[in-house]
Amino acid sequence: MLHVELVLQGLINGSMYAVIAVGLTLVYGLLRILHVAHAGLFTLGAYITVLITNATGSLPLAVLAATLVVGVAGMLVYRLLYEPLLDRPPYVALIASIGLFICMEESYRIVFGPYGNSFDTMQLTQRITIGPIGMAAADAAMLVGAVVLLTGLGLLMKRTRFGIAWRATVTDPAMARSFGIDTIKVRYVNFFIASALAAAAGALVAVLNNLVEPTMGSVPSYKSLAIIVLGGLGNVGGTLAAALLLGVIEAYGTIYAGAFLDRDAIAFVFLIAVLMVRPQGLFAAR
Amino acid sequence: MRRILPLLALAVLWLMPGTAPAQDVVKIGFHAPLTGFAAADGKSARQGAELAVAQANAAGGIAGKKIELVVYDDEGKPENTIPLANKLIGQDKVAVVVSGGYSGPTRAAAPVLQRAGIPYLSAYAIHPDITRAGDFIFRTGMMGEVQGRAGAKLVADLLKKKKVVIVAVNNDFGQALTAGFKEVAPKFGIEILKEHTFAMPDRQFGPLVAQVKASDPEVIYAPGYFFNAGPLVAQLRAAGVEATIIGQEGYDSQRFIEIAGKASEGVIVTTSLDRDSTSPATRAFIDEYEKAFKDRVDMVAASGNAAATVAIAALKKAGTDPKAIRDAIRAGSFDTAIGTLSFNNLGEVKKAVQVQVVKDANFHRFAIIDDLQFLAPPEK
Amino acid sequence: MIGAYEITLVAVVSINLMLALGLNLITGFCGQVSLGHAAFFGTGAYAAALVAGGLPLPAVLLVAGLFACALGLLVGVASLRVREDFLAITTMGVGFVFVGVVRKQGFLGAEMGLTDIPDHGLGDLGFVGLCLALVALMALLTWHIKRSWMGFGFAAVADDERTARTLGINAAAYKLAAFVIGTFLAGVAGAVYAYFTRFIIPGAFGFTVSISILTMVIVGGVGSIWGVVVAAVLLTLLPEFSRVINDYKLLLYGALIVLTMRFAPGGLAGVVAAVKARVRPGGGP
Repeated sequence: MLHVELVLQGLINGSMYAVIAVGLTLVYGLLRILHVAHAGLFTLGAYITVLITNATGSLPLAVLAATLVVGVAGMLVYRLLYEPLLDRPPYVALIASIGLFICMEESYRIVFGPYGNSFDTMQLTQRITIGPIGMAAADAAMLVGAVVLLTGLGLLMKRTRFGIAWRATVTDPAMARSFGIDTIKVRYVNFFIASALAAAAGALVAVLNNLVEPTMGSVPSYKSLAIIVLGGLGNVGGTLAAALLLGVIEAYGTIYAGAFLDRDAIAFVFLIAVLMVRPQGLFAAR
Repeated sequence: MRRILPLLALAVLWLMPGTAPAQDVVKIGFHAPLTGFAAADGKSARQGAELAVAQANAAGGIAGKKIELVVYDDEGKPENTIPLANKLIGQDKVAVVVSGGYSGPTRAAAPVLQRAGIPYLSAYAIHPDITRAGDFIFRTGMMGEVQGRAGAKLVADLLKKKKVVIVAVNNDFGQALTAGFKEVAPKFGIEILKEHTFAMPDRQFGPLVAQVKASDPEVIYAPGYFFNAGPLVAQLRAAGVEATIIGQEGYDSQRFIEIAGKASEGVIVTTSLDRDSTSPATRAFIDEYEKAFKDRVDMVAASGNAAATVAIAALKKAGTDPKAIRDAIRAGSFDTAIGTLSFNNLGEVKKAVQVQVVKDANFHRFAIIDDLQFLAPPEK
Repeated sequence: MIGAYEITLVAVVSINLMLALGLNLITGFCGQVSLGHAAFFGTGAYAAALVAGGLPLPAVLLVAGLFACALGLLVGVASLRVREDFLAITTMGVGFVFVGVVRKQGFLGAEMGLTDIPDHGLGDLGFVGLCLALVALMALLTWHIKRSWMGFGFAAVADDERTARTLGINAAAYKLAAFVIGTFLAGVAGAVYAYFTRFIIPGAFGFTVSISILTMVIVGGVGSIWGVVVAAVLLTLLPEFSRVINDYKLLLYGALIVLTMRFAPGGLAGVVAAVKARVRPGGGP
């Protein structure tokens, strides 16, 4: 029974990691940027969700607004910060991204205050039981939300013109251009989708914790980097698998290894161990 | 003319300190984490201290001089706090310093202030080494160990329960409280079933909750901060865990109740602020704080206020001579928002522990543990 | 006027300088991006705290450096296996594992940290003298390395590892050398930190410290010694000067990093090079 719950809780955490990290891997796959500020967009999504829900009373409306606004914000980050740095060494964009992330966290603190915000009325507090297994509705929302979002992303990548254009651009930008693919547009759409996913993850976490704080992005900022590396940098499927696996490993680690390692250390011991055996990550890129 | 100029210069030099604006005010130094992960506590502590200064100034200041609070951000970093403490001493020439910071920065500043002979009051940092820096260093907040002991007494004597699971935040605060709790647990016949830790940034406790549920304790002793405790308590209750949850001063913020919602009902905390107190000092603090900052009081604000209040009272009694201030603090008894405080030989506070329970979305008095013998902090 | 404030500020700046100079060797000269420099800093600090009671100061500095570079050698070996972004994330992982392990070890004081680190016995001015001397020594050392054959090897590896190999340059040896020397310097910085604060806690060696050191190196201009020195001093003192605007100083810090990277991606050294090129159009005489 305990093990069923541990695995389940691991998967819930893992799906949260997955929704955040998959956007990061989209960006990395296309542009080779370690986009730390992604976690800042995640936080922004969470703030917009809470503030609009409290103002209008409608959670769905708030989530919609959050994904749209943050999607556009992501495109702006690309246009204003990353685009001019594309032909620079990769660490330039990395440090710029870290700087932007610091700015974002500090702006949230100054504008919204350091105490964090909560929903005026707690969302999804019911308890769902399926046979012997029970979970909070917010947990279920996290799982279902992740499945819906990631299936949607999968379909988009496999079945649509954008998906084809994206994959072509990732594989060989010059070739893609010669086939008439607008690679610039692909980049913008890519940032929109990645950032909208971050916002959705932020909304889900806001509901789950009933707490949105300026620093809520700091753990995702580095842990999602670990996940996309585990998943084989730029490999969307690999990222999903790595996120879920890490969620479960952390769940077990917190209970059985907590006496000598903390949670973050567990994740990174796993990461380092994997990279020493498979330097290209669990799943090689593409 | 040639003779007069140097004389004039000399005269100006002599007169300078007398005419400098620094002499028109009495300065109290203050540091707290205003940015970074602990910014919420930094803001509360600062507001608490500012309120104490504003009230004292409204009441005429110190011998007609206004009090000025010199505020710096310690960012929660020990190494940054050392120059900062030196700046308060050398540049700002403060008479006394109040720490609204965590243990790291406070431990770093204490020896600096001790060496300079400037009295230093730590509002809520818990590390035992702070006051060991010397006789100029005081703590108005409870030591972690003391509060941990109070927690064990609460479980065994007041609640009459035995089976406990400890779930503690993974830092000096959690470690000190756990140590205090475990130190006296055998004496009370408390059985500790399991012990877990979580990290300060953790908000999702699914695996821990599953394990706690499997351990099936009567009481969950869970040292942490409101931003951990809110989600933790909500998740425990959502998973159907009905054991009594014992928190401590880290929970003591209205934000905890807002985050955890209905799940917070019945949670009991050991803290220093009694919401139902009839003491004028406490009532005045609660009312004026909520009026001034349009926000509810919390333990950190009350602690910041209490430390500043002690500093101001000592200044009033002793003037600005640091040694006299130190002696005034050591010998005195101070009426503050967190009760009547006096200090032992080490500079540790002697005071009762407030036990509060969440009822109808507010903290209310549950009990007061005032066995000062049992709560006595170390003398060295 | 030099007071205790200025003296302690110089100590803080010196510690950051030592860290930045060491990382500049690894990341700047040899091109291996490390997001875990604080782990070596911390190793040095803990080693120093453990032995400072029984050894004289120079021996403590040496021991701290050696412990750090032992860990550095391990990570260097890992760097032979993983490259570029994978290496960056691996070093980040080393940082987290270091803090995560230390904070659970009783003999290292766990969360409460190690305390009662003995006085260095040099007095305030003596200590600052030591700090400045160490910084000067490290700057000279890295300057010498940059100009030597080893510096050439580093540059070749940083530029294009595969080409370097075909030229017969032993890339593995150079990478290991960079990690060993760079982390030794971090270890010495750790010992100085331990003497400075006289207690250490795991939180002082976290990810944000690694990030701020890397930021100094990159804002200074990767590989440029004077650029890194200037950036380390500026970025350390910036919050100090902006204390009046407590609330906005970290925002300002972030904005400065973003703007530097956006408009001067080569860092300070890049800006100066560009200005020089403009003053002498066409390459000059």
